[in-house]
Amino acid sequence: MTAEELRETIARQFGRSLHIRTLDTGSCAVCEQEIRLLAAPHYDLNRLGFFFTPAPRHADLLLVTGPMIRAFAVAARKTYDAMPGPKIVVATGACALGGVYPDDAFTHGTVDAVLPVDVWIPGCPPSPLALLHGLGVAVGRLADKVRDLPFTEDRDPERTRGGS
Amino acid sequence: MTPLDFLYAAAACWLAALAVGLLTAQTAAGLRACCALSAAGGVAAAAGGGWALLYGDTRVVSAGGATVVGATLQLQATGLAGVFTALLGVVAVAIALYAPRYHSPSGGTGLYLAAYNLALLACLGVLAAGGMVTFLIAWETMSLACYLLILRHPREVSAARGAFWFVALSEAGFLLVVAAFVVLSSKTGFTTLAGIAAHASAVPGGWRAAAYLLALVGFGFKAGLVPLHVWLPEAHPVAPADGSAFLSGVVVKLGVYGIALFAFRLAPPAGTWPGLVTMFAGAVTAAIGILYAMAERDIKRFLAYSTIENIGIIVTAFGAAMIFHASGQQALWAFLLIAGIYHVANHGCCKTLLFLEGGVTEHATGTRDMDRLGGLIHRLPRSAVIGFVGTLGIAALPPLNGFVSEWLIFQGLFQGFRTGSHLTAILIVLAAGILGLTGGLAVYAFVRGFGIPYLGMPRTRPAAVASERGQPILGPALLAVACVALAVGAPVVLYALAKAARTVTGVTLGPLLLPGDLTVIPAHADFSAFSPTYLAVFLASALAVPVLIYLAGRPRAGSVRVPVWDGGIVSFRPRMQYSAMTFSAPTRVTFDALYRPSVSVTRPSDDDPAGRSGPVHYEAQVTPVFQRYLYRPLVRGLECLADLVRPIQSGDVNLYLLYVFAVILLAYLLGAV
Amino acid sequence: MTLWFIRGLRRGVVTTRYPARPDASGPSLPAPPAFRPQALTSHTADLLAAICPSGALRRDRGVLVYDVGRCTACGRCAAKAPHAVTRSCEFELATTDRSALIKEIPVREEAR
Repeated sequence: MTAEELRETIARQFGRSLHIRTLDTGSCAVCEQEIRLLAAPHYDLNRLGFFFTPAPRHADLLLVTGPMIRAFAVAARKTYDAMPGPKIVVATGACALGGVYPDDAFTHGTVDAVLPVDVWIPGCPPSPLALLHGLGVAVGRLADKVRDLPFTEDRDPERTRGGS
Repeated sequence: MTPLDFLYAAAACWLAALAVGLLTAQTAAGLRACCALSAAGGVAAAAGGGWALLYGDTRVVSAGGATVVGATLQLQATGLAGVFTALLGVVAVAIALYAPRYHSPSGGTGLYLAAYNLALLACLGVLAAGGMVTFLIAWETMSLACYLLILRHPREVSAARGAFWFVALSEAGFLLVVAAFVVLSSKTGFTTLAGIAAHASAVPGGWRAAAYLLALVGFGFKAGLVPLHVWLPEAHPVAPADGSAFLSGVVVKLGVYGIALFAFRLAPPAGTWPGLVTMFAGAVTAAIGILYAMAERDIKRFLAYSTIENIGIIVTAFGAAMIFHASGQQALWAFLLIAGIYHVANHGCCKTLLFLEGGVTEHATGTRDMDRLGGLIHRLPRSAVIGFVGTLGIAALPPLNGFVSEWLIFQGLFQGFRTGSHLTAILIVLAAGILGLTGGLAVYAFVRGFGIPYLGMPRTRPAAVASERGQPILGPALLAVACVALAVGAPVVLYALAKAARTVTGVTLGPLLLPGDLTVIPAHADFSAFSPTYLAVFLASALAVPVLIYLAGRPRAGSVRVPVWDGGIVSFRPRMQYSAMTFSAPTRVTFDALYRPSVSVTRPSDDDPAGRSGPVHYEAQVTPVFQRYLYRPLVRGLECLADLVRPIQSGDVNLYLLYVFAVILLAYLLGAV
Repeated sequence: MTLWFIRGLRRGVVTTRYPARPDASGPSLPAPPAFRPQALTSHTADLLAAICPSGALRRDRGVLVYDVGRCTACGRCAAKAPHAVTRSCEFELATTDRSALIKEIPVREEAR
C-alpha cells in the first residue's frame, strides 16, 4: 500500500471516529493532565469524533507519554500488541521525543526504542490545542506543517515570519 | 416374569458378589469378578424397578417361612418403590464399573466390597419390603452395612468420627421409625404395608398425624433434613468416593422413600398443617444446605451439603403435594409426587456422578481441597466434560434433567392459589420463594464447584501434574448419559412415573401431564407448558449457529495471534486467581448471621500491624451451629440424666437383692390384681 | 444553581472551535523558541548548547542543531541570550516525520 493509499485508508476509517488509549511510560503526569483536559468542555475532543477507551482491544490509537522507562517496556509492548490493526502510535511530550532523559540503565529515553511511532507531538507539556492538532494529523484531517517552519526570525520586524 | 423375579435375581447376584468380594478381593481378578457380579445385580435391579414402575405389583409375597425372628419375609414390588429400585440399579452398575480402577486389591477392599454389597442387598430389602418387620430388619441392616462402608480406613480419627455421627443419628431415627410403625400397626391391626395402607382411614386423625410426624423425623435423620443432617458432611468426606456416591445417591433417598411411604400410602394425614410442616422443613433444609455448601473448600463436604439442599427440594414438593391433597386438588397432589420422585431420580444420577468424579480428582491430585486445584480441565479432560454434565444437571440448568424436575416442582408450587385458603396460598408461595433463592445460590455454588478446580491455572504442583491415566471413566460416563437421557426422554420418564403415582394416589393424570407432542403440562392445561425434548434440541442447534457464522464469515486475510490482554502485567501467577473462599465471600458476608464465623488474626508483633516484619496469619471458621447449640446440649442433658440415675448401679450386692425382691413383690401384686 | 445556569446561558458556548476556526489563545501559549541567525554568534551558540537542560540544542559545524521535539520551553536560552532568542508562537507542531522537527539554525561566524 502506498503512502497515499494508507493516508486515504486512515482518513476513511478513523477520520470520524477514533478511540484513543493513553499510556504513561514514566512521565511526570503533566502531559496526562493536558490529555485529560481534552475531555473538558473547553476543548471537548468528543465533538471531533475522538473518544478515550481504557481497553487496548477497543483502541485505534495509542497516545504515549513519558520517556519509556525500562521497567515498563514489556507492558508497553503488550499494550501495543493487544491493539488490533490498523493502529496508530502517537508519542507526545518532550520526554517521549527523546528530550530530558537520556538513554541509560533505567530509561530508553525515547518511545521510539520500543514502539513504532507514527506521529510526534512536541511540547512540555503539549497544550490541548497542540494535542488536537496532533490527533488531526494522525487521522489525516490536518496538515503537518512543522517541516516548513524555519524557527528563525530576521531582525527586520517587517519581514518577520514568526506567528500564525 | 414378575418384577419380584428380577429382584430375586439381583439379590442373588449381590449375595454372590458379597461372598466373592470377601474371599477373593485381594487379587485384581477377584476384585473385577466381584464388581461384575455387582453390576449384574444392578442391571437386574434396574430392570425389576422399571418393570415394577410400569406394571406395579399388588401381591404381597411371603417368602422364607417362619424365620428365627418369628416373622415371615414379606415382599411387594410397588410402583413407588420401583423408581427407587431402578435408581439403585443404575447407581450400582455405575459404581461397579468405577470400583475396579478406584480401589486397589487388598483385604481391606474385600471387607469394604462385602459391606457394600450387603448394603445394596439391604436397600433392595427396604424397597421390596411388603411387611413392617421385613422393612425394619432391612433398614437396620442397611444402616450397619453403611457404617462399615464409611469406616473403610478405621485408623483415621476423622473416619471414626464421621462413621460415629452416621450410626448415632441412624439409630435415633430408627427408634422413631419403629415407633411410627408400631403406632400404625397397633391401630390398624395389620403388619403388612398393603394392609396398613388399605385400613389407613380407620386410624384416628390424631394418631395418624402422630405416626406421620414420627416418620418424618425418623426418616428425616436418614434423609438429611435440617437439623437432623449433621452426619452428612461428617460421613461423606471420609468414605471412599464410591461409598459417598452410594450414600448420597441411594441411602439418603431411602429416607425420602420412607417419608413418601408414610405421607402418601400408610398414614396420609388429615388437615393441611402436616403438609405445611413438611413443606417448610424442606424449604429451610434446601436454603440452609446450599448456604453451608458455599462455605466449604472440601469438594466432598460441598457435595454433601448440596445433597441436603436437593433433599430439601424433594421434601418441599412432597409437603406441597400433601397440602393440595388436603385442599381437594387431587391432580396437583399426584403431580407434585411425580415431580418429587423425578427429582429423586435426577439427583441420584447427578450426585453419584459428581461424587465419582470427586474421587477421580482426589486420586489424580491427592487432595480434596478446591483451593489446591485448578486447570484440571487440561489435565483430566474427559473427567472434566463428564463432571460438567453432572454440574449442569445438579445446578438445574437447561436442558438437563435437574432443570426439568425443578421446573415441574416450581410449576406445582406456583399453583398454590388453587387451594381455597389465602393463607395456604401465601405460605406455598413463600416456600417457592425460598426454593428460588436456593436455586440461584445453587448455580452460584456450582459455578464455584466446577470453576475453581477445573478452570484457570493450577494452584499447586500436584494439580499441575495430575494425570488421567488409569482413572475410571466408564462408570461416570454411563451416569452422564443417564442424565441426558432423563432430560431428553422426559415425556417417557414422566409417563412411567405417572403410572407409579397412580398406584399410590389412585389419580390418573394422563392428558393432564402429557397432552401429547412431547410437551409436559403441570396438571392443568391453562397454566403453562414446556417440552424438554424440543428445548434440548433447540439449545444444541442454537450452539451451532455461532460456529456456522464464524466458519462462513472468517476473514480471508491472515490474522495475528496475541496473548490475552491481562493489563500488561509481566507474568500471570496462579495466586492472582479467585480462590474458593473469595469467590463465595459475598454470600458469606450477606449471610453472616448464619455462618457466625470466628475469625482469628495473629500478627508477628503488636507494634507492626501491617505485618512488615513477618507474615500475618488469618483464620476464619464457620461455627457448626447445629452441633454446638442443638446436639451438644442434648448430649450433655442425657449425660446429666445418666449421672442422676447412676446411683442405682451402686455395685452393692445387698441393694441388688433388694431390687430383685421388690420386683418379684410387684409382679405378684400385679398378677393378683 | 439557577444563577449559575443563567450566567452560563449568558456567557454562551465556551468550547473552542479549533480546528475549524483558529483559536485565539494558541499563540500566547508557552512554545519552543525561534532564533535570530543575525544575532547568533558562534560563542552565543556554544553557550546556548551548554545551557539547554533537555538536549534540544547542539553545536555542529557552522550550525546550531535545534531539535524542536526535545524542547521543554523552559526559557533558559531566552534568559541567557535575549537578543538571539525570541518567541515563536507556534503550537501546531505535530508531524509524522521525526526529522522534520530537527532544524539547523545557521550561526554567524564572527572574525576572531
